[in-house]
Amino acid sequence: MSRQNLLPRTAPFGDGERASLDAVLGAASPTQRAWLAGFLAGLDAAGGQPAAVPAAPPKAAAPLTVIYASESGNSEALAGTVAKLARKQGFKPKVVDFADLDVATLPKAGKLVAIAATWGEGEPPARGVRAYGELMGEGAPRLDGVEFAVLALGDTSYAEFCAIGKALDARFEALGGKRAAERADLDLDFEKPAADWIKATLKALAPAEAADNVVAVDFARVAAGEDDEAEPSREPLVVEVVEHVNLNSSRSDKETIHLALAFEDGAPAYEPGDSLELFPENDPQLVDEILTAAGLSGDAALRNALLAERDITTLSAATIERFVKATGHTDAQRLIESGEAKAWIEGRHLIDLIATFPATLTAEHLTAITRPLPPRAYSIASSRKEVGDEVHLAIVAVRYETHGRARSGVASVHVADRIRDGAKLRVRLKPNRHFRLPQDPATDIIMVGPGTGVAPFRAFVQERRAIEAPGRSWLFFGDRHFLHDFLYQLEWQEALEDRSLTQIDVAFSRDQPEKVYVQDRITHHARELVSWLDGGAHFYVCGDAKNMAKDVRNAVVKAYETAKGLSPAKAEAQVAALERSHRYQQDVY
Amino acid sequence: MTDTKRVYETPPTERPITNAEAARAAQLAANEHIKIASGYLRGTLADGLLKHATGAISEDDGQLVKFHGMYLQDDRDLRPERTKKKLDKAYSFMIRLRIAGGVISPKQWLVLDDIARTYAGNALRATTRQTFQYHGVIKSNLKRTMAAIDATLLDTIAACGDVNRNVMAATNPAQAGAHRAAYQLAKDISDSLLPKTSAWREIWLDGERVAGGEEEAEVEPVYGRTYLPRKFKTVVAVPPSNEVDIFAHDLGFIAILDEKNQVTGWNVTVGGGMGMTHGEPDTFPRTADVMGFVEPEDAIKVAEAVMTVQRDWGNRKNRKNARLKYTIERYGLDAFRAEVETRIGKPLAAPKPFTFTNNGDRFGWTEGDDGRHHLTLYVPSGRIKDIEGGAQFLSGLRRIAEVHTGDFRLTANQNVIIANVPAEQRAAIEALVDEYGLTKGAGALRRNSIACVALPTCGLALAESERYLPDLMTELEQSLASHGLAEEEITIRSTGCPNGCARPFIAEIGLVGRGPERYHLYLGAAFDGSRLSKLYREDVQASEIRDTLDPLFADYAKGRQPGEHFGDYLIRAGHVARTTNGPDFHERTGALKPALQG
Repeated sequence: MSRQNLLPRTAPFGDGERASLDAVLGAASPTQRAWLAGFLAGLDAAGGQPAAVPAAPPKAAAPLTVIYASESGNSEALAGTVAKLARKQGFKPKVVDFADLDVATLPKAGKLVAIAATWGEGEPPARGVRAYGELMGEGAPRLDGVEFAVLALGDTSYAEFCAIGKALDARFEALGGKRAAERADLDLDFEKPAADWIKATLKALAPAEAADNVVAVDFARVAAGEDDEAEPSREPLVVEVVEHVNLNSSRSDKETIHLALAFEDGAPAYEPGDSLELFPENDPQLVDEILTAAGLSGDAALRNALLAERDITTLSAATIERFVKATGHTDAQRLIESGEAKAWIEGRHLIDLIATFPATLTAEHLTAITRPLPPRAYSIASSRKEVGDEVHLAIVAVRYETHGRARSGVASVHVADRIRDGAKLRVRLKPNRHFRLPQDPATDIIMVGPGTGVAPFRAFVQERRAIEAPGRSWLFFGDRHFLHDFLYQLEWQEALEDRSLTQIDVAFSRDQPEKVYVQDRITHHARELVSWLDGGAHFYVCGDAKNMAKDVRNAVVKAYETAKGLSPAKAEAQVAALERSHRYQQDVY
Repeated sequence: MTDTKRVYETPPTERPITNAEAARAAQLAANEHIKIASGYLRGTLADGLLKHATGAISEDDGQLVKFHGMYLQDDRDLRPERTKKKLDKAYSFMIRLRIAGGVISPKQWLVLDDIARTYAGNALRATTRQTFQYHGVIKSNLKRTMAAIDATLLDTIAACGDVNRNVMAATNPAQAGAHRAAYQLAKDISDSLLPKTSAWREIWLDGERVAGGEEEAEVEPVYGRTYLPRKFKTVVAVPPSNEVDIFAHDLGFIAILDEKNQVTGWNVTVGGGMGMTHGEPDTFPRTADVMGFVEPEDAIKVAEAVMTVQRDWGNRKNRKNARLKYTIERYGLDAFRAEVETRIGKPLAAPKPFTFTNNGDRFGWTEGDDGRHHLTLYVPSGRIKDIEGGAQFLSGLRRIAEVHTGDFRLTANQNVIIANVPAEQRAAIEALVDEYGLTKGAGALRRNSIACVALPTCGLALAESERYLPDLMTELEQSLASHGLAEEEITIRSTGCPNGCARPFIAEIGLVGRGPERYHLYLGAAFDGSRLSKLYREDVQASEIRDTLDPLFADYAKGRQPGEHFGDYLIRAGHVARTTNGPDFHERTGALKPALQG
């Protein structure tokens, strides 16, 4: 960390003096500087004689608690940014994950910044469920005297946009807290607005006595250029597709693309558990449909922008509002005013809006209506120790029909339909330090990954094979049909053979009359599972957040009840303890 | 024969295998070691079912599982794509039932239909040996499938493997008394020669392992721990129909009837069998010999004696020389008969005269001498499934099973008989047959056709069979029609390999797979199944079969005598040499004279 040069060269001090002053002032908090300013002023007023005893001892830096509830890592990254900037500005920040949060400590926080993601249909991120529940519950402590600000992250393509952030914001106030800054509700393109919000919020939270600094220095700007060397590059890298194969049999009704991506200048230093963001392109047919519906077919520049830069599928209330603003379409306006917009949006996309409410649009309108096309993150399915400068992904093509139209997942179908061997893709590493193999390779691991949820476990098994980890490993896999959907079947057979995988249990839901899922296998093996966990095994779940991850967690709680004869509450406490000690990790979506 | 004949002074009815003998067993065929080590057919099957990453079982267990009525197979159509997709072969199991005499109740039919719909790709397959088999049952569903079969009082024990397999009996009960006797004999033989090991119940139904009981005499008093050297097939026929193809089987009983059509006893046949290996002239199909006549009360004893002599005399070193037909060739029929007589403690009488007229089915309705009605349906290749835009065999027969008060019979020609229909129910059955487009017959060639399963499920297939024969028959029907032979009854059978599941060597036209779209063409067998054919042309391309046969059809149309069958004519006219009973099968092969068109 380089030392700040606060004093201009023109300051009336020698070089050595200037450096000494910089050392002191640079590390001083606003409170300390404010005290010093007052002290110096008082000194002058006292005729140059220092007071025998300072009026008051220097105050400690103002504590600031930054709590975050993160699923994909975005909230966590922003919490880190808040802390870094806050420290620069004289706060003493403390960052706490919701997973580790003891809500009883919040009344003493003094200043509180909460960054919360909203997940699925208005739910808190999995790791934050417990603390969120406690905060919203009757036992939540009063927050009188606490100054707070909430930053909400979400995705406008879900109905309950930023629900958790909104709820926390209201809750903190209800508990007696004082809102120091207005909440911001941010969509997938949050980076720029989040930076602005953080800056403004820290200013609002800064101690009043530090408000007018004697020496005017833009601390935020000084800080902005710093500490970035530790961050992974946010610039997308271009990779070449060296393997593109549908892992499902030709008799399957699913399509899961295995992608091997080669980095020309070496793969980024990813770890098993990390994700890779992929910058997709939109379906050209859909782009043309939208252009035609909007009467903009001839605009080649716009077409390119819609292909690669704009999110042309997501439809939210905000989209309709922007559409009404742009077109003045009265029918669309009525949809909003009638309160039916939310229901109407269900299962519909932008094309439905434009097709249902025909209007002549300009390129600017379309840009204003849409949000930037976000990258999609996929759990990495490989270990660098086995595949070198490649990254492997397993991506299931999402195709369905709603309101009489065939729909497709932007990135997954881009990969499935329009990418082949030799194609180039833009990607960016997205680390996930909450989904990590145990430090000790002798620790056992239990992996639950149905469907493409198995991807990171392919990375885990590769990694543990490469380092010859002595710990046992147990994989639960599931999909529809054994014969046609057993992703990486031959590789699991090899892994069992070379003992990098100790055992596998499978659940294929459509091979028999009753549906069988991974959680049923967990239940079946309750005693053995609990014995592994008692022996210190780490438990990992990857895949569907909406149902699977919850069902699996319930099954593990039940397993404790069965294996140890525990009450539901005690069994729940066991699993909660696993979570708190980071031995129950999830990568769900 | 090169082997020295050995004669046992006293028949070794108990034949305990000592460790020393096992150690010396290096000379024995690999399957003998597997049987010895299997602990009465257990092997490591129970563990293999718990290996979830693979749909297969170990190679040794793959041999043992046959005794339990199953074959491990994989979908060969899918093989090319699997490795690239990081998928193992698409393994599944063929499960064959044991249905003595091919008789099942409507209640059982409904259960078998449920199983087909639930675990086996919506198809029941009537086999060439009067039973059903399922295809495509994956390993994880085996136990449930077996439990469902068990619940309807059927099983799959000994449906495959080196044991007495499903016992066939004449089906069409037009001569009600004789057919009842034939069925009863088939059932009794099936029961008395059934392996007694509890392995089946233990592995598939989680049955208790029978404690103690590991003494050989208790576990398998008839078979012993090594069972038979090779498969053993038994049939019961009622003349004049040879629908069960008695000459193609190891052991047969031919009903000898009095003037009231009642059974007075049985002619016993031994040493028939189809399988051979391409390019190995020591292997050949053989028609059975008629060994003697037996009174009804001695029939079971004779069956057991024939089987145990084969158990003790059969070749256990070379599986390709292990069937009863080779044992009889090696020892001679007289020595074999003498040993059987010793074991039953009395001589066999001389065979009684009998006459067979055909080996096909009688389609449509027939009325028995007891006033019951029977409807034989033509089921192409035995495939009971719903054909898109065609006959709805699965659904239609299910509906019939829901109302039918008699029973069902599967025929040796892969067809289905709705049997014992009271006169007043005939119309109701008839209406359902029409509603579902079920076929009561077909053109003359199709009526007399059989195809084995072959690709994509059979691991032995070298060429297509069931998926190809219908197309070939369409071509041949045109050719036959052009020579005025459209209504001529000619038997035609195809198999994907020379193991002979569809008994191709006793069909007047036999096609045996050699490679993709390549077949050996065999001609000159008897219409009634009593004489083998002869290799007429090697490695015929599928596209050339019609042109190869067309001039022979033309010649037959011109030169035949009234009532003369195609196979008989080809021999009389000198196109192909006559095969007697088997050892001469590979002699004087090929076309004896050019067949000229016109």
